[in-house]
This record gives sequence, C-alpha cells and structure tokens, in this order.
Amino acid sequence: MRMEWGSEIGVVFYRWIIKLRRQPIYLFFSLIQPLVWFLLFTQAFSAIGNIPGFEQITGTSDYITFFTAAVIIQTIASSALQSGIGMVNDLDSGYLDKMKVAPIHKSSILLGKVLSDGVSIVIQVGIIIALALIVGVNIATGVAGVALILLLAMAFGIAWSGISLFVGLQTKSTETTLSVGLLTTFPLLFLSTAVMPKELLPMWVQNVATLNPISYIANAFQGLIIRGFEWGAIANAIIVIALIGVVSLGASIALFRRAVNR
Amino acid sequence: MDNIIEVKGLMKTYGDIRAVDDVSFSVRRGEIFGFLGPNGAGKSTAIKILTTLIGKDSGSAAIDGLDLETQAEEVRRIIGYASQEVGVDNDLTARENLYIQCRYYHISKEKSKQKVEELLRTVNLVDAGDRKLSTFSGGMRKRLDLATALVSDPRILFLDEPTTGLDPKNRRELWDYIRGLNRQGTTIFLTTQYMEEADQLADRLCIIDQGKIVAEGVPESLKAKMGGDTITLSFREGDPTPLTQAKEALAPVPGIKEIRECELDDVCQNGLVLTIENGSSIMPQVVRVLDARGVEVERLTLSTPTLDDVFLSLTGKTLKVHEEANGEQKGMRRRRIR
Repeated sequence: MRMEWGSEIGVVFYRWIIKLRRQPIYLFFSLIQPLVWFLLFTQAFSAIGNIPGFEQITGTSDYITFFTAAVIIQTIASSALQSGIGMVNDLDSGYLDKMKVAPIHKSSILLGKVLSDGVSIVIQVGIIIALALIVGVNIATGVAGVALILLLAMAFGIAWSGISLFVGLQTKSTETTLSVGLLTTFPLLFLSTAVMPKELLPMWVQNVATLNPISYIANAFQGLIIRGFEWGAIANAIIVIALIGVVSLGASIALFRRAVNR
Repeated sequence: MDNIIEVKGLMKTYGDIRAVDDVSFSVRRGEIFGFLGPNGAGKSTAIKILTTLIGKDSGSAAIDGLDLETQAEEVRRIIGYASQEVGVDNDLTARENLYIQCRYYHISKEKSKQKVEELLRTVNLVDAGDRKLSTFSGGMRKRLDLATALVSDPRILFLDEPTTGLDPKNRRELWDYIRGLNRQGTTIFLTTQYMEEADQLADRLCIIDQGKIVAEGVPESLKAKMGGDTITLSFREGDPTPLTQAKEALAPVPGIKEIRECELDDVCQNGLVLTIENGSSIMPQVVRVLDARGVEVERLTLSTPTLDDVFLSLTGKTLKVHEEANGEQKGMRRRRIR
C-alpha cells in the first residue's frame, strides 16, 4: 500500500517533470520579476545599507546582500503560486478526470504535482543564487549554506504551492489563480522582515511582520547569507513551513476528495 | 441474464435541475449499450456517476456486482473511461501518455512498455508514437484517448460522446475500433447525440431526455414501433390535378396502410405521404401505378424511420438540430429518387 502510494506520486511527478522539460520557458517566466527587482531595486535603494543601525542589526552594510533573501522568497512565491494553474488546465482538458478514474490515491495526484513544483523552484532559486554571487554577494555559510537554502526553498515552495492548488481547485479558473498569486506576494513580502530589518520597520508593520510567515523564512535565509548557521531561526522556518504545508496541502487534498461527490 | 451494469432509481440534482431523474436500466455483459440524447439530457452526468467521478443523490448502481459507493476503488480497477474532452496531455508524446497511464494502474515498468506498444498497434498509431500530440489530428487524439482507456484491460469501457467533433471519415474509423474492441469481449457503454452512431453501434439503447429515459430497447424494434416506412410524393406547385389522380390510383394498392396529404410542416408542399409496410418492395409498384395513369410526379422520396423519428414522437423535439449544428450529414437512411 505504502509502496503503491510512493510509486503513484512518482508517476505523477514524472509526468510534470517531462512537461517542465518540454516547456523550460516557464522556468524563466516566474524569474523575470525577481530579476528585475534584484538588478534595479538594489541599485536604487543601495543607500538603505547606510542607514544608521542597519549594519549593527543585519551584519552587513551591503543592501544587495541583505535583499538576496527577499528575492529568493519572491522567486519561490511567484513560482509556487502558479502551481494551481497546471491543475486548472488538467481540469479543463479532462486529464484530471482520467487520473481520478484510475485507481490511485487522490493525494498522489496533488503531491506529485507539488513535488515537481519543488524541483522547478530549486532550479529557479539556484539561478538567483548564481546571479547573486556574480554581482558580488558573499554567502557566509558557503556551499553547505547554499545547499540548506535550496532545501528550505524547496520545502517552502512545496508548502506554498498548496495554497495555489487550493485556490485553483476551488475557483477552477486560471485567471483567479494567477491573480491571487500576484496580489498576495507583494503585500506579504513588504509586511515582513524580508526587505527591511524588523527594528527599522514602523511599529504596526513590526506587529504584522511577527505574524507573517514570510518573516520567519526571511530570517533563516538572511542568517545563512549574511552571518552563519543560526539554528534557532532555521528551526523556526522549518516549523512555519511544516505548518503551512500541512494546512495548505491538507485542505487541498480534502477539497479534492470532496469534489468527487459533487 | 448476466448483467454487468445494474442501475435502479438513479437520481442526481443540481439545484433545481434534475440532471438524472429516476433512471433505471441494465447492461448485459458483452454488448454495446448506448445512451442517446441531445446536449444537456443528462448523459454525461450519468456516465460520470457510473465511472465514480461524481456521487449520486439516491438510487443504486453496481458495476459487475460492485457497489459504486462502497467499492469505488474496486470499480476503478475494472473500468476504462474516455471523456468527452479527450483527456490526453498535449505536451507529451503518444508513447509517454500511454506509459504514464499504465503506471497509474500500477502496471510494472517492463509490462507498461509492452502494453504501450500493444495499444499503439490496436489504435494504429505506432508510427506516430513519438510525436508530440500538438501535431496530432482530432481523430488521432481521439484514438489515443481510446487507447489510454484500455490500459487496464477493462471489463467495461465507458465512452462519453466518442465521436463528437470528428468528421464523418474519422467517425466511421473510430466506430470500427469500437466494434473491434467489443468483438474481443469488452462491454461498451457509450453516450451519443448522434442517432446514426447509436443506430450503427448499439446493440441496445436508452433514449434519454431531460434526465429521464423515454425509451429503451433494440434500435430496430424501436424504429419498427414507429409504424413502418413512408413514401413522400411531391407534385408541381399550384396544380391540384396530379394529387387527386395519384390519390385515386394508389387507393387500391395493397401494402399501403395510409394516404394523407402533406401538411404545412411537412417537407413537401403539394404532395402526399404514404405509410407503408415495406418500402423497397412497394416502391416499384407505386411508380408503375402512377406511370400507367400518366401522373406527373416532381419528386418521390422513400424514408425508413430513424431513431430521430422515435425521439420526435416521444419528446416532440428533434435530434437533428444538433447533428446539423455539428456539421453532420442528414439522415443516412434516406434514399432519394427523382
């Protein structure tokens, strides 16, 4: 039973990876915006690094280095929030019905999909990190740190994809799924500690940032990039990712199962 | 009688709409069973319930003795389903589509590879196996879809409007594949809005309209109930003489059950409609009698009843509107003699 489940997820994953290989251009679509940010924003706002206290709080006076974490998160979020689109397309084409008629677990259909999203996110984040190194960002934790960033990025991407899956399955519309992704990414990013250290944020934003899951991911990435292995922050990030994943994927699977009876 | 599908009092409502309204029928093992009806009649809803895709509100339904609700998992292992939408992945090749489909059914990697080749041969797509589906024609895609429904060697195959959107040539070709599968022992349940398709393929059928079964039986006997063939005679417009002459001449001919004048809603304007028992044997006689009297006939048409006539008599609506809208030719069984 367990083996069956594993191989089912494997097959679904295999299909999405073939699709990704056939259309690698999709990998770059969701990279455009983070790239623009990375290359322009950091130039325009490089003076932020000189704000009194910035270096004491963050450990660097180089805003690009600080901002790298935010770009990584943006990359993950904008990629993950397109996950539901593939699902809606399968729904429209009748492919999903074909899978649902086959004797496989409903959860395999969704988990195989988000795993493939995890892979494309790792590739995308890898590209961003390479670019960061090229523009002179120094990653304090070295190769091991980069590996850990990629691992966290994948896990966070899978969990975050669950949100898009849920929206896609619920609305059955690619437009809605896409706009939910676009509309939530920016406010969440700006109301977190990803673009500015917490101590320099206005009080009300600080309060929101504490509740914002993005902050915890950002803290872990910032630590790994600027300072070193801060296991407390990394543990917090893992807890937040696990919580998001359980809720988003659990809700998607429940919704998907219930849809059978409508 | 060995029934592979047993359905009793099936109900499914969406808000106020009764998509499937107290439907009962059974399908015998080894036959081709059809659901004929216009768009929105509830055919797809019924097939989605039978393939475990959606739940029913009430009633009972069993596939090969397995309850649809409590044994859905087991049901899925013995059925194949090709949806109306053609559920194949256009980013993949035909081989990849089939291979992945095999793996959904837990067929081992080795066996899956064999199965893929076997199925490609069945639907005659071996040479196109490595092409991406975006280069496939509608007919090829439909054939591949049919093949993906066969990976599990299903005991019963569900086909939801298998030829909708295909041109007549591809349609006929697909019919041959369906017949071939049936000859090898697969029971087939299909829905269609084309009376010709139901007529050509189905051993038995249900005519369904607004969620209800309005007729059930063998196509031939359903048509026979319509009271035999008709001959329609048309005469030159504005001249009442030939019509009167023909009426007199034909009255004594044996085998003509009824003679009536054309009404406004008939195809002919100035003409007669003869109801007869056996068209092809009476036809020459009618021609001889009229010729002997020197009656000038402008047009003479022999029609045998179609399933559309059955549908019309039961619902007051015609199926043909849909067929024409879909680019279908008019009733194939209508022969015309000028």
